[in-house]
Amino acid sequence: MRVEVVCALAEIQHCVGLDLPPGATVADAIAAAGFDANAALVVQVGIWNRPVTLATLLREADRVELYRPLRADPKLVRRKRAERNPVGVQPKRRVSRS
Amino acid sequence: MTTATRADRIDALLPQTQCTRCGYPGCRPYAEAIAAGAAEINRCPPGGQAGVRALAELLGRAELELDPECGVHAPLHLAWIREDECIGCLKCVQACPVDAIVGASKHIHTVIAERCTGCELCLPPCPVDCIDLVPAPATRDRMREADAARERHAFRAFRLARDEAERDARLRARRAE
Repeated sequence: MRVEVVCALAEIQHCVGLDLPPGATVADAIAAAGFDANAALVVQVGIWNRPVTLATLLREADRVELYRPLRADPKLVRRKRAERNPVGVQPKRRVSRS
Repeated sequence: MTTATRADRIDALLPQTQCTRCGYPGCRPYAEAIAAGAAEINRCPPGGQAGVRALAELLGRAELELDPECGVHAPLHLAWIREDECIGCLKCVQACPVDAIVGASKHIHTVIAERCTGCELCLPPCPVDCIDLVPAPATRDRMREADAARERHAFRAFRLARDEAERDARLRARRAE
């Protein structure tokens, strides 16, 4: 069974192709690829953009992915964007005097 | 030459960027349109003038100027996510035609640089505009990477169709309960 394990860092992305026996799990793939699923940087594992558990069984052509935490706070980003571009607040109308 | 083999040969000359700038949903549909006589050979900006020339030679036609309506040819640029700003929304992951972006909801997304075709399809959907385009290393070559990109694009289509079929099956099973 061909699978791949990807540990993507900003500067370098490690992609390890593996040939594992049927019945192999996500944990097996990560170990076989030489990564540490318990590393502090890895807060979640997944297959093809979906979080899964380490015990999940693999199937042909799965891409096991190691996920890192966000650095931005989405709600703070949202708030800042709203401040810059308020929704529902009309720009002040210029009163023309004639 | 049958239309199908002609489409294969045309497709083999396209860079497999899958950018849709030709007006078709991917390189293969564009190749099929050329093969069927429905599209001109000058609609692929990533392929550039060299690509138009190769198609003209293959089909025994006159070389045309690259159609500016489709965009201009530029050296390969790669998508790059500014991590301090990424909110983990998955929009770019869903837009990438070759599965070159890794990430899950509420986790950092990362471009696998060596698999990025520079299609730019991830840029418009990003709600925080945190994706830059950076020049690719000089060692990169669109045509040399085309076969891998074609394969990734095809596998993605297979995977998404499979996901949908499985989702439908789950829903049916739940309804039957």
